[in-house]
Amino acid sequence: MAKKFTLATKRLAPTTRGLALTAATAVLLLTTAAMAQTEVRFTHSITGGSSRAALDAIIADFEAANPDIKIKEIVFDDDQYSNQGLITQLKSNEVPDIFFEWAGYPVQRDVAAGYAYDLSEAMAADGWKDSFSPAVWTDGAGTMVDGKPYLVPLSLDLTNTIWYNKKIFAEHNLTPPKTWDEFVALTKTLADAGETPIVEGNNEFWPLGNWAGHIAAMVVPPDEYVAAFKQEAKFDTPAFEKALNLLVDLHNVGAFNKDMQALGADPAMATFFQEGAVMHPIGSWLVSETGNLADEGFEYGQFNTPTIDPAHPLANSVIGTITGLVVHKNAPHAAEAIKFLKFLTSEPSQVKWAESGQMSPVQGVSDKAKLDEQTEAMLALMSSASAIVPPPDNKYPVPVAEAFYQAAAFAASGEKNAKDALVWLDETLAAMGKQ
Amino acid sequence: MSRATERRRSTAEWLQFGVAGAIVLVMFYPAIWMVYSSFKSNREIFRSPFALPAQWRWENLIEAWQVGGLGTLYFNSVFVTLVAVSMCVLFATAAAFAFTRLEFPGRKLMYRILLIGLLLPPPSVAIALFTQLRDMHLLNTPWALILPGAAWQLAFTVFLMRAYFISIRPDMEEAARLDGANTWEIFWHVSVPMVWPAMLTMVVLNTISVWNELLFALLFITDDAQRTLPVGLVRFSGYHSTDYSLVFAALTITTVPILILYFILQRHVIAGLTATAMD
Amino acid sequence: MQDRSAPISTGAANLLFAAPAMLLFATFVLLPLGASVYYAFTFWDGFSAPRWAGLANFIRALTDTTFLMSFVHVVLYIAATLVFEVTFGLVMAVLLNSDRRGFSLMRGMFFAPVVLSMSAAGVLWKFVLDYRTGLLNSTLRSVGLGDWAQPWLAQPETALLFICIVSGWKYAGFYMVIFFAALRRIPRNLYEAARLDGANGVQQFTAITLPMLKQNVIVCILLAVTGGFAGFDLFFTMTNGQPFGATEVPATWIIKQAFDQNQIGYGVALTVVLTLVVSLISIGYLKISERGNVTRY
Repeated sequence: MAKKFTLATKRLAPTTRGLALTAATAVLLLTTAAMAQTEVRFTHSITGGSSRAALDAIIADFEAANPDIKIKEIVFDDDQYSNQGLITQLKSNEVPDIFFEWAGYPVQRDVAAGYAYDLSEAMAADGWKDSFSPAVWTDGAGTMVDGKPYLVPLSLDLTNTIWYNKKIFAEHNLTPPKTWDEFVALTKTLADAGETPIVEGNNEFWPLGNWAGHIAAMVVPPDEYVAAFKQEAKFDTPAFEKALNLLVDLHNVGAFNKDMQALGADPAMATFFQEGAVMHPIGSWLVSETGNLADEGFEYGQFNTPTIDPAHPLANSVIGTITGLVVHKNAPHAAEAIKFLKFLTSEPSQVKWAESGQMSPVQGVSDKAKLDEQTEAMLALMSSASAIVPPPDNKYPVPVAEAFYQAAAFAASGEKNAKDALVWLDETLAAMGKQ
Repeated sequence: MSRATERRRSTAEWLQFGVAGAIVLVMFYPAIWMVYSSFKSNREIFRSPFALPAQWRWENLIEAWQVGGLGTLYFNSVFVTLVAVSMCVLFATAAAFAFTRLEFPGRKLMYRILLIGLLLPPPSVAIALFTQLRDMHLLNTPWALILPGAAWQLAFTVFLMRAYFISIRPDMEEAARLDGANTWEIFWHVSVPMVWPAMLTMVVLNTISVWNELLFALLFITDDAQRTLPVGLVRFSGYHSTDYSLVFAALTITTVPILILYFILQRHVIAGLTATAMD
Repeated sequence: MQDRSAPISTGAANLLFAAPAMLLFATFVLLPLGASVYYAFTFWDGFSAPRWAGLANFIRALTDTTFLMSFVHVVLYIAATLVFEVTFGLVMAVLLNSDRRGFSLMRGMFFAPVVLSMSAAGVLWKFVLDYRTGLLNSTLRSVGLGDWAQPWLAQPETALLFICIVSGWKYAGFYMVIFFAALRRIPRNLYEAARLDGANGVQQFTAITLPMLKQNVIVCILLAVTGGFAGFDLFFTMTNGQPFGATEVPATWIIKQAFDQNQIGYGVALTVVLTLVVSLISIGYLKISERGNVTRY
């Protein structure tokens, strides 16, 4: 899954938070007897970082303004959330009122399975729908199914960009590369100097897979790309082979950390912040973890995947998606859930959200909020891009995307050459059948 | 049972002591490492993984306790284990008593059916059990772990309790019968005290299994408030996968009390196993 | 051994003593097992009415190479547990079988990992085996063997091996205690007689100890086999099937299929296949060992 939030809570905050929580619980115990509270169950994977702090603050504001509603957060780390955490809840008899979801295919799947509440009516009221940037309601955005809105957009995600350590770049007189060849040469320089050029925590396949999806989109003719992911044509084509060979080239110059396939996404991010590697291709959510993981004075920047083929229509694209929240079709408290979501996507809440390192989908918020420089830079990158390519697992059936991710991992780790990886991919998809 | 005798040791005995000691130390070292690493800072763990902490940071433990909500996890684990193990051992003892001392229709068949449980791996029903517990409205309650937890230990427990009953001649029970005691009284006042050592062993073995159960706990519980320690630990290490000292602190807090409990009960476990003897 | 003496009571009322256990067992073991067999023949998402699928799920299972490979991995794992757990446990039971001072403590220390939860063990060992900062590679680097440092859990060749080793670390103590308990019941005079006949330690072990422990060995192997097929916790916490499916075992794959990919009918069919395989192997094993006239089943 193009994943969203991550990692540890702040090292000091919890003590105070724990105390505050105890106090809050005590107050709650005293007040519940007098007042019947509605409990809205809200499950997500925002486990820590500045965004979790912002979310908790927004929830606290909401509860203060609506003393009859209590928001109960049920939190998993991303891998568990997308593996068992969400689905066991959706299938249980006590469904969450609100759940976190990625736009596109996952929303379609939820609608087909009868998990998602049609928000048409709610969105029409009070100009809620129009408060969002119009781009989130386009066909490709993946927030709607059959013209009906199901996903309340919460963030625009840059699914993959290449984060780099400015200090180490300077030590080796390097600057962000413009072309793929420069990128490979730069990587080789770092590897030859004994650095680990790129750290990736790929034990769940999506981190490198998202990036490989973008690389392939920049190399393979768009029609061919779409046909392959829709299982209408084979992956084993010269263009896909060329794309995977770019990863093989990186592997051959010693670009990746050796334990790529055993490392989780979070430890890989920490490795980057601890200067255990020079570059880390991952999404925009890295920003909200900086405070937890980086030492004071850690300087970093990011650059988009460099141009591979200037003639390709997507040469100047970024990879990105929308993440947001779905109300469960059988939510016991749908009205309260919608009330909370309106509050969460209101301008004051979104300003807090944006200032925690998120790109807000609500109009005007990015101008009002005091964004940090990384968020500013990502917004600039997104607005200068000629197109936004969705990550494969948000656009196409997840099993197909995951099989492609695994083929990419084969190539990047030297397990299989590009050709064999694609043959394996086609065979796997054939055995799986049409998804 | 092990009365240490201080006769002079022969060379062979010293060799035995040395080899055994070396192996045991190597095996036990990771546990010691875990405990003292939990008092270090992250930087110390990375820089000098073997060294003792420069400064014993007890605050790591306090922080892990609070951040991980370990109090709730402990409480839930204790509750689930206590109820499931008592249920399992009591039911199994009664069943083993029935299978060895009593006669009733279907006795042999029932025992054979129960033995199926010895061979089945729990994952083989995990999915069907999930939907069944959902329809019984037990998901997300301690009973989703207690009832299946006890049920899945039954076959093993009955099997060993039965072996223990067989190894003891029923003279006492027959004498009580002649004195006019009813079956219930015989079970409660004669048999249970008689097989008590085996029951204690089963309590210890079942406690280890139920306390550590992960698969069911992962699937049947989603609320933080109902979670048990093993899943809590996995989640905690997922959240804090980069914060070594915090994870070690959580590991230490959750395992050391169990280790101490074991060292206290060690004699009973070994004595009980000698009696039931797993054969 | 005779099964039982004359019953101290007869009559259907005695059923009450077995009833609680049988009810609990029927509800939470047999019922889901029966339901699984039915669901396995259906397409089912867990909610709507199951649709009859005939053998489709089973045919798919037989062409699911990851699933088939998961059995290869679990068999390798079981083979390794027989060495690292049962055999090592037996050796340690003999080695730790002494009344001398210190041995009781050593037995306790050797058994200690058994009481840790698998998830705690998995988390701990992930830190030990981490490529960049783990204890093992740090040790190698500190003694100048940095070239030997490997990403142990990232290489298909070593990942399964290390899971087996950790499993051995965790469970050898369990088998040691069982064998130790059995060793205590072997009459001392057997050894004394052998010693008078001039038998050395190894000869005593093969001529007396092993035959006396035969019963325990059979039970321990059965436990290792059925326990091995149920293996989930360690695989889940350490690698969850990675790298490239090299540590995928039936339990981890089943959970992925049924919950990850939201196809309960197929996942259940895989559980039925697993149940069949384990039952056939166990029953076959017991039949063979029964022929040796040793079990009491």
